[in-house]
Amino acid sequence: MIKVEKRNDVSRSIYFLTPILAIFLTLFGGGIIFFILGFNPIEALKFFFITPISDLYGLSELLVKATPLCLIAIGLSFCFKSNNWNIGAEGQLIFGGIVGGGVALLFYNHDGFYVLPIIILSGAIGGMLFAMIPAILKTYFNTNEILVSLMLVYVAKLLLDYLVVGPWSNPEGFNFPETRQFSESARMPILFDGLRIHAGIFITLITVFLSWLILYKTYLGFQIKVSGLSLKTAKYAGYKGKTMIIIVFMISGACAGLAGVGEITGPIGQLHRNISPDYGFTAIIVAFLGRLNPIGIIFASLIVALTYLGAETAQIFLQVPKYTGQVFQGMILFFLLGSDYLLFFKIKFLGLKKNEL
Amino acid sequence: MNTKLKVTEISKIYPGCIANDKVSLEFGSGKIYALLGENGAGKSTLVKILSGVVKPDEGEVFLNDESIKLNSPLDAKKNNIGMVFQHFNLFETLSVFENLSIDNDKKDEDLRVLVNDILKKYNFKIDLDIPVLNLSAGQKQKVEIIRCLIRNPKVLIMDEPTSVLTERETDDLFISLKQFSKDGILIIYITHKLKEVLSLCDEVAVMRKGKVVSVSSTIDEKIESLANKMVGENLNTIKKKINNFKNSEQILQISNLNFKSDDPYETNLNDLNLSLKKGECLGIAGISGNGQNELFQILSGEIITKGTSIMFRNKEIGKLNPRERREYLMAFSPEDRISQAAVPELKIYENVALNNFKSSNFFEKGLVNEKKIKEHSKKILSNFSVNTNNVELKSQFLSGGNLQKLIIGRELITSPELLVCFNPTWGLDVGAINYIHETLIQINEQGKSSILISTDNDELLKLSDRICVIYKGKLSKIMNADTVTAEKLGILMGGGSID
Repeated sequence: MIKVEKRNDVSRSIYFLTPILAIFLTLFGGGIIFFILGFNPIEALKFFFITPISDLYGLSELLVKATPLCLIAIGLSFCFKSNNWNIGAEGQLIFGGIVGGGVALLFYNHDGFYVLPIIILSGAIGGMLFAMIPAILKTYFNTNEILVSLMLVYVAKLLLDYLVVGPWSNPEGFNFPETRQFSESARMPILFDGLRIHAGIFITLITVFLSWLILYKTYLGFQIKVSGLSLKTAKYAGYKGKTMIIIVFMISGACAGLAGVGEITGPIGQLHRNISPDYGFTAIIVAFLGRLNPIGIIFASLIVALTYLGAETAQIFLQVPKYTGQVFQGMILFFLLGSDYLLFFKIKFLGLKKNEL
Repeated sequence: MNTKLKVTEISKIYPGCIANDKVSLEFGSGKIYALLGENGAGKSTLVKILSGVVKPDEGEVFLNDESIKLNSPLDAKKNNIGMVFQHFNLFETLSVFENLSIDNDKKDEDLRVLVNDILKKYNFKIDLDIPVLNLSAGQKQKVEIIRCLIRNPKVLIMDEPTSVLTERETDDLFISLKQFSKDGILIIYITHKLKEVLSLCDEVAVMRKGKVVSVSSTIDEKIESLANKMVGENLNTIKKKINNFKNSEQILQISNLNFKSDDPYETNLNDLNLSLKKGECLGIAGISGNGQNELFQILSGEIITKGTSIMFRNKEIGKLNPRERREYLMAFSPEDRISQAAVPELKIYENVALNNFKSSNFFEKGLVNEKKIKEHSKKILSNFSVNTNNVELKSQFLSGGNLQKLIIGRELITSPELLVCFNPTWGLDVGAINYIHETLIQINEQGKSSILISTDNDELLKLSDRICVIYKGKLSKIMNADTVTAEKLGILMGGGSID
């Protein structure tokens, strides 16, 4: 007979070490998969995890990918910490991109220092408003925020599709499903010549710092923490539960919106169908891998960003599909959840007793 | 078919409490047996032992003079002991029939024939193919009963079955139970409602503090005699000095409070009226589940009912949430100290910060003032003799008594004018109980008022100036504590009336 028991004393250091264990298990699992596919596992893993970041360009690409992931994950940590399951960051990212992109198109022949800040702000507001839909439905109509936020992702995707094919498509674009290129002053400043890393990274870093401040040093952060641990206590303490749900969704949506606007004004420079390689979904993994902790999320975003890059190099050098990246992301989550289970529960193997046979 | 069920010298000891203390009882088919007792008297433990959920430390169970081992609920089923719990174990989204077939090996066709026979025989009207969530509480209970009947039970145990039923459904249930009894099923009926014992049962065993204190025929009993046995003599002679509050200032006034809940497991409150004077302790007695929880939450502001007027120190506070009420100098100590009054994963000082006053400056301009909270926490720990001075300790490592001291301390250190507490001493050891009791008497002496909602009558008689009883969401007349006896409380708690 197998019995599962809850552990009472989970050490804090082990709690933060298990994500690292999960990463090692992922490497091991990935090695086995490459071996089965007929590659030398060590070589293959080297292509996947070392080659992509062995030059300056690679490192810059890593930061380009980690920037939106980290930003979205930070926002999600507000929701997840307070037991609000916002699964729709991808939709909020796209909607933020649509609003920011719309403003950028409005200014396509304008120049001026004010253009970019307005675009960034409108992107954040767009994501925020989009995230408020599940929040308001949850607080006033008792709907399930997981379903609503997830389904809204497809609404945002289809809306973007419609816009880039129809009303917003580039009049000189030979009917390609994309908008005009944004004007120079609507683009994120590039930090180094020849590299794609852009000023969006500062937005991310500032957001990380502000989030740390809010979560750990303010009354709002304290209320979020208490509501996440026990809603009954939050009610008893007199915290305004509904307002708080809306606030965490707004923060989360604004971060996703910022990420979206950072993508379109940064590396992309226009709106088209695929402005995000599922950053919004992958950021869920980042948030949990980073233990919903701002510093943890920075590291987690770098590691998960590497799986995006690794998949591209592996596609070139090993001729495996780039979806291997998603396999690795899936494995990270799988091993993280698995080790968490063993962290919080212990499994006892008991002999069969005679009278139970 | 005659069934005899016997338990001999059953004991079950939990840390800090003897749930069953050498319980011996004998039951025979053809009669309906009542097992009567207050909360914590040990009824449920005994029933759990009979249904295989809990293993006794000592003692044996005999079915028809044969010793049986009940190591799991499966063993109870094998021995034809059926059990209907107070809370239903049904899958809401499955149909009635699916719920019945889920733990039954019979072929579906055979089972359907059998179930239809049972429905016809006992005149149950239930559609087998609709989802359980569409059924009323009474119908769900019937599904549970049918689930037992399919197995040809020799013994049927009903645990407080009427707590979720309407009057009509209760009558129906009693008719069915009498019919089962006639058909030779031995019925054990667990309750704390005195009227039901007299109208339904033939024999009654009364339990108190883990022991069987009397076994008798219901013909020989009256509501008063049963109440007396159930509640016991009031052994505690230390009573608070009763004061005369005639000339004191009125501090709290609630009139015509009504609360209707959507949740079938919650109790509706009907036309509650109460008032409280400065320095007074109002005790509210009652068996748990009669509306205490709802009343506490209405007083604390966790539930806000439309149109209810709560006047506190001449101000209307009916619409305010708990935090806002605290600003008016109210304080609250809920029943669930482990997961509501405090969060086990939070450190002591963080738990202290849950009771946040503007004037306490725990959060200045929205920022956490950790230093201030910690200083304040240290003061609570030493003033209320909590046995640690480490404010960084997670509160899950405090014993029940120390945690309660911390909570009461947190609530009282701000000198509130009114403390509402709900079962402040359940599960505590004698030392901690005395400490809490002394503290509660002290605040009254300092001219502060308190409302004590409790299921412990000794505690109520010891601490209250006036007492009333809540039964099925209604308050009895409020009586001066010196005119109240344990017997009177017992009658009112069981739904009887005095005068």
